[in-house]
Amino acid sequence: MKSLLPLRAVLVTGKGGVGKTTVAASLARFAAQCGKRVLVAEIADEDATTSALADALGVAKITDEPWEIAPNLRVVALAPALGHQRFLRDVLPMKVLADAAMRAGAIRRFLAAAPTFPEMGVLYRLLDLVRTKRRDGAVEHEMIIVDLPATGHALALAQIPASLLRVIPSGPIAAAVREGLELLQDPVRTGAVVVTLPETLPVSEALELVQGIEQHSIPLAQVFLNRVPFDPFSDEERVFVRSLLDGERPPMLGARTLERIDRARVALERLSQAVSVPVGVLQDVWLEGPRLAEEMASLMAVEEVHQ
Amino acid sequence: MSSSRPLDVRPSLADAQPTFLEPLVRSKRVIVCAGAGGVGKTTTAAALGLASALAGRRTLVLTIDPARRLAEAMGIPEASRAPAPVPREKLTMLGVPVHGELDAWMLSPEVVFETMVRRLAGDEARVQAILANRLYQHLSKIVAGMQEYTAAEALYSLSTEGKYDLVVLDTPPSRNALAFLEAPRKLSMFLDERVIGVFLPAGGGQKKGAFVRAASDLAERVFTKAFGEGFYKDLQDFLGAFSGMFGGMRAHAEAVRRLLSSDEAAFVLVTSPEPAALAEAGFFQEKITQLGLPFEGYVLNRSWAYTRGFGGPEEIVLPPAAEEHQRVALRKLGQLADGERWRAQRDRDLLARLRMDAARHSLGAAARGDGGGAAIATPHLGGAVEDLAGLAELARNLVHLDNA
Repeated sequence: MKSLLPLRAVLVTGKGGVGKTTVAASLARFAAQCGKRVLVAEIADEDATTSALADALGVAKITDEPWEIAPNLRVVALAPALGHQRFLRDVLPMKVLADAAMRAGAIRRFLAAAPTFPEMGVLYRLLDLVRTKRRDGAVEHEMIIVDLPATGHALALAQIPASLLRVIPSGPIAAAVREGLELLQDPVRTGAVVVTLPETLPVSEALELVQGIEQHSIPLAQVFLNRVPFDPFSDEERVFVRSLLDGERPPMLGARTLERIDRARVALERLSQAVSVPVGVLQDVWLEGPRLAEEMASLMAVEEVHQ
Repeated sequence: MSSSRPLDVRPSLADAQPTFLEPLVRSKRVIVCAGAGGVGKTTTAAALGLASALAGRRTLVLTIDPARRLAEAMGIPEASRAPAPVPREKLTMLGVPVHGELDAWMLSPEVVFETMVRRLAGDEARVQAILANRLYQHLSKIVAGMQEYTAAEALYSLSTEGKYDLVVLDTPPSRNALAFLEAPRKLSMFLDERVIGVFLPAGGGQKKGAFVRAASDLAERVFTKAFGEGFYKDLQDFLGAFSGMFGGMRAHAEAVRRLLSSDEAAFVLVTSPEPAALAEAGFFQEKITQLGLPFEGYVLNRSWAYTRGFGGPEEIVLPPAAEEHQRVALRKLGQLADGERWRAQRDRDLLARLRMDAARHSLGAAARGDGGGAAIATPHLGGAVEDLAGLAELARNLVHLDNA
């Protein structure tokens, strides 16, 4: 996990239900405890009444402006509208004009509803936060961890800049998009983190995702295998238990858990062979909500010591 | 999943009762499966489609999830331009009657969009003008956002063209699935003439009021400055070419909404016992009920609740000569079994809660007067359903399972 610490932007992605948000929250707590000034972000969704990231961090709400929830740890929702506004302010000659544009109902509604404009707004907002400096000239957020939406949408988000450049090859938008794309593709500043589960299909899907990420030239930094079940058996114990269960007899309690453990072993091996980045193993922890992310962050710290 | 393995529990037919899903796959025209990611939604949608085909109906399973799982499970080509049939010989093997059909399609925004343009644009010159527009090409290839716009469109045209008795829709993970429900509203917001009018060039028989003109000037200044002149021109061309079609698109959006609100549609929420998935399902149930859409019940997936006929490791008696590591191994297996007993109890409690919730909120359950509710559990199929035989087993379990 230490390899992630120098990065400016960590993009956490994976299929729905793999625990992306918990991993993003745990990484944020871990990095903050390591002394980094961390900002952990989710994509704002005006329709959502709940926030998975807020639940994982144990905070009541996540706002469009960063606020500090623990020493060195801030949280923000990347709001498209703010990205649009910042962008217009950057490219238009007068602030007044940008603000007037954002106040105009038609323009606001167009930007909010027209496909890909919200995603561009999110990307620009991220760029804006990466660039934010403190008074002493140091960057405000040394590390920004983004909890990206499910697989397909994360890829779609990554696909937009290049696609947009074909439509708008020049001008301020193109310049901004290029800057965004440079950030996304710079292995020094950016790393994608793929989260998956220790089961057959999720691993296949994670490998597809890894391929997709590489196709978009976004540097992959780490893969996490989440909710790995505890394996109590030694090799000879396993062989014996298998021999007990393989005979002709009615299904037995315990066997399904054993199968799950076996699948996890296969998944780890398959993943380790297929990707060139470190594969982190995150144990299945029977906790919920904010306590889960805290526990996982401390497990990450313990692992660092062992390595 | 081979049926010879001891873990594949099929309840004996004597025990089996039809579940709430049985009448749905027999009578509905649209079934929407929704829920959090990773709960087996795609697989459930495919299994419901197969159950419908087994009941002799012509069925389409439509997924807007970009993940490529459905095609794998059903053995159909991915990225096809139209729904692809599951081969007849496979269906026959699974016991699907001759008039039952099963097609599957991974929705392609590009194709749906183009079909829509062809239907609404009228003359070929206009079709070509739209298809050649750079902005159109950009939008139609982008997946983010477009899926939701096109899913509603595809669902409507495919369920009304008469080729299918039932369309099962597998939605993307919850947050985006909500966007799908909101898509018709959002689409009409985007397509509102008052918004579009601001961007259209003056003239061409269109008169703009002073207020609109002021907004137009602002929009032109802002967009020309920000995007460059070429883009603004493209945008105007695009909206101009589309402007005659907006009425038709809006009418469609409303028709989709009417279909989804009617008693020909059913919303089924898929969840796992994970707290996060349950929270999403609860959130979704509220939203669906609020929107006046026909919520029918829950499918509790990845559940450990079903333990009928299972033995326990404590029944195993080792010979006196057994070695120490064998005794230790058996003891450890016993601990895993205890964990499963705990999970089974937790999931049975959960099932009872979901049934109560479904009975309270499901329109169908209220109408039928079956106070028993509508949530069912599928046995914890080890791993994932990976082929049609496994899917068929799941299909049978979904519509006919004695509810533990």
